[in-house]
Amino acid sequence: MKRGYVKSSPHFFRLITIALGLTAVAVMLLAALVPAPLQEQGNLARVPNPVKSAWFLLWIQELVSYSKYLVYPVLALAACFIALPWLSPAAPQQGACWFPRACRGVSWGRLSHVCWCSR
Amino acid sequence: MIEDFLKHLFPRAVLQRNLTLSYTLCLGGLAFTCLMLLGASGGLLLFYYQPTPAAAYPSILLLESSVWGGRYLRSLHRLASHFFLVLIVLHTLRVILTGAYQKPRQFNWLVGCALFLCAVFEGYTGYLLPMDQLALWATQTGMELLHIMPLGGALRAVLVPDGVGGPASLLRFYVLHILMVPGLLLFLSGLHFYRIRRNKGVLPYL
Repeated sequence: MKRGYVKSSPHFFRLITIALGLTAVAVMLLAALVPAPLQEQGNLARVPNPVKSAWFLLWIQELVSYSKYLVYPVLALAACFIALPWLSPAAPQQGACWFPRACRGVSWGRLSHVCWCSR
Repeated sequence: MIEDFLKHLFPRAVLQRNLTLSYTLCLGGLAFTCLMLLGASGGLLLFYYQPTPAAAYPSILLLESSVWGGRYLRSLHRLASHFFLVLIVLHTLRVILTGAYQKPRQFNWLVGCALFLCAVFEGYTGYLLPMDQLALWATQTGMELLHIMPLGGALRAVLVPDGVGGPASLLRFYVLHILMVPGLLLFLSGLHFYRIRRNKGVLPYL
C-alpha cells in the first residue's frame, strides 16, 4: 500500500454506509411528519387560481409568464451547462478544491442562477 | 456477488486525506439512496394504484384510508422524490463549483446531465398519477411549457395524445414513470459509477 493510501474496504465503504443509512432514516422519519397532500378529484372544468406547475418547474413558469420567448434563454443556458467541459479551457487541476481559479466565472454564474431559481 | 460487484465500482485504495466530507459531501451517493427509497416505496404503491382516469383517484383514496401504512408510503415516495431532485441539483452544483466536470471527466458530466434531465422528467410524470386537482393542473401547466419549446408540439402529442388526464395519457405517464424512466435512471447511474472508477476514483486525483 502506497504511503497516504488506505484500503477502500473498510475505510471508504464504512463512510458510504453511514451516509446512506443516515439519509434513509432521515427521509423515512420526515415522511412520517410531512404527509403528502391530496386535493379533490381532478376536474378540467374547475380551474384553480392560480394554476401552478410542479414546484421544480415554477421558475420557468414565472419566466415565460413575461414572454414565451424567454424559454429560449433557458434552453441556451441548458446547452451551455451541457457543453461546460468544452467551454472552459482550464488545465487539469493538481488537487481537489472549491472554486478553482480557472472556473471562477462559471462557479459564480451557476450560484447566481440557483439563487434566482430558489427565490 | 452483488456486494463484490458494488465494491468493484469503487477504487481498491483511496487517499486517506480525501476521506472527509468537505469535498464531495456524499451528495451523489445520497441522491442514489433516495432513488433506492423511491424504487422500494414505488414498488409497494404499485400493488394498489390503478392507471385509469376513473380508478386512479379512488385507488389513492383507498390506499390512504384502508391500507395499513398506505398514507405513510405515499408520503415517503413523495418526500424521497423531492430529496432526490434537491440532492441532484446540489450534487451538480458541487461538481460545477469544484470544477470536477473538466476533462478527462467530460463524458461523465454528459451522463450526469442526462441523469438530471431524467430525474426531472421522472418527477414530472409522477405528478399526474394521483389525478387530483394539483396533479392535473400542474401537469397541464407543464404541457403548456413544453408546447412553447421547439418541437414541443410534437412531444406533447406523443405524451398526451388524448389531452392531460385522458386514458391514453395517464397510461403513457404511468409506463414512463414506473418502467422506462426508472430503467434509464438505473442504467445511467451504473454508467455514472463505472465512469467514476474509470476516471480513477470517487474523488479526483486519487
